[in-house]
Amino acid sequence: MRPGTFVLLVAVTVGLVIWLTTIAPDDNSRPLRILVASSLSEVASDLIDAWTETLSSEQTVSVELIAGGSNHLVAQLRDGAPADAFLTADPDLFDDLAAAGVALGRQETGLGHNHLVVAQPAHGPTRSPIDLRDPSLVLVACAPEVPCGGTTVARFGDLPVDSFEASARAVVTRLALDEADLGVAYATDVSSHPGLVPAWPQEPICPCVSYAAVALSTAGTPFVAFLADDRAQSILTIHGFPVEPPQ
Amino acid sequence: MTGTGLRGAPRSVVAVAAAAVLLLALPVLALVQRAPWSGLSSLLTRREVVDALGVSLVVSLLAAGIVLVLGTPLAWVLARVDLPLRRLVRALVLLPMVLPPVVGGTALLFALGRRGLFGQWLDRWFDLTLPFTTAGAVVAATFVALPFYVVTVEGALRTSGEDLEQVASTLGAGPVAVLRRITLPRLLPAIGAGLALAWARALGEFGATITFAGNLPGRTRTLPLATFQALESDPEAAIALSLVLLAVSLAVLIPTRDRWLPTR
Repeated sequence: MRPGTFVLLVAVTVGLVIWLTTIAPDDNSRPLRILVASSLSEVASDLIDAWTETLSSEQTVSVELIAGGSNHLVAQLRDGAPADAFLTADPDLFDDLAAAGVALGRQETGLGHNHLVVAQPAHGPTRSPIDLRDPSLVLVACAPEVPCGGTTVARFGDLPVDSFEASARAVVTRLALDEADLGVAYATDVSSHPGLVPAWPQEPICPCVSYAAVALSTAGTPFVAFLADDRAQSILTIHGFPVEPPQ
Repeated sequence: MTGTGLRGAPRSVVAVAAAAVLLLALPVLALVQRAPWSGLSSLLTRREVVDALGVSLVVSLLAAGIVLVLGTPLAWVLARVDLPLRRLVRALVLLPMVLPPVVGGTALLFALGRRGLFGQWLDRWFDLTLPFTTAGAVVAATFVALPFYVVTVEGALRTSGEDLEQVASTLGAGPVAVLRRITLPRLLPAIGAGLALAWARALGEFGATITFAGNLPGRTRTLPLATFQALESDPEAAIALSLVLLAVSLAVLIPTRDRWLPTR
């Protein structure tokens, strides 16, 4: 390679990198970004649809929905990921955000409830509560760091877990792939997944979780406010998140 | 080849090389700078850190061993035998390098999981289940690390040529003797370098492990998995864990690089 070509190559590369940094986030044109706990993936998209229908025709809003483990999302927010609203099963995480210097806007709590069930693949052999502590069966649960994991410990104590999953949905995936025999998952996730059934009849029992939302920008405030609305509450109820906690 | 000294080197090349070093060194420096030095000893002696280090060492060393046993014959065949589908096989070998590790882990699950294409027979005939076991973590690490070794060793085999081997054959050495007395001894530096690369890749492996082997302290939670877990709830512990990973890898890679990749 001739020196001239080499210098040209370097100059072009540097130029490209600089150009790339300028086309990165443009705060005015980016869509409204809503982060939700993985257990809320489906209901959140219904909630967003219902909310955008309430807007007048000249307000066109495009929304980007990002679902994941609550703690993972909090870590992203702490590191400055741009977002306008955050929905989670653990309102204590809002304190972590505030402590990390994230500006919090309007908050709505007690939006809907969810409880845990022990689930199994739909076509698996019949299980009983004793199986939950059988070390020869593969049991998956949420990691204690995510809200569903904390609730699992509070509800069942120490279990012979074979893998701690990073989100409520990851437990469902393990069961759906039939790689696990039993899993502690949210009732809503189990009832909405055709490949999963409760491992035995289980009453809805607390400790359970209660969802909360916080606005992270002024643009996110109207959506968070809408969540306390009757229309939003009925959507949550339809998806199996009762407004009142189980007994 | 001997070095020319910094004075004789073209300045533009040195400048760009320095920029490359900066790109690699800056994040490491920043990590060290953010380390909670005062509380480090108590962080590092925590049960979960010690467990993760143990799992990581066991998994990465076993994976390196399997890579050595499986990879050496594969590299030799790719370099020396005129296979009908050699291009295809070579592309296949490179695939784990390109595939996102999470996808690799899912693919492993479909292949070797207990309902997997092949795993169902392992489960039925041998009562052997790989997911959620340390063995599963070793398989995941081997899957991602193998290409690094094969590519290195195959490259060395090609550049070393076959002259000496042909001379040995004409002097009456059988194929196994040639392999043992000529090919392998000359290949040792490349084997060492490839092994170091593959081991390093296995040590840092995250995506395929968490997908295929799950995440359980003391069994499948390696240092990268523990770091990921800690990053979300206890960033200081995460930094401490990354330092352990850094220290272990430097402790192994610096001496091996000097020994197997002689600089002149």
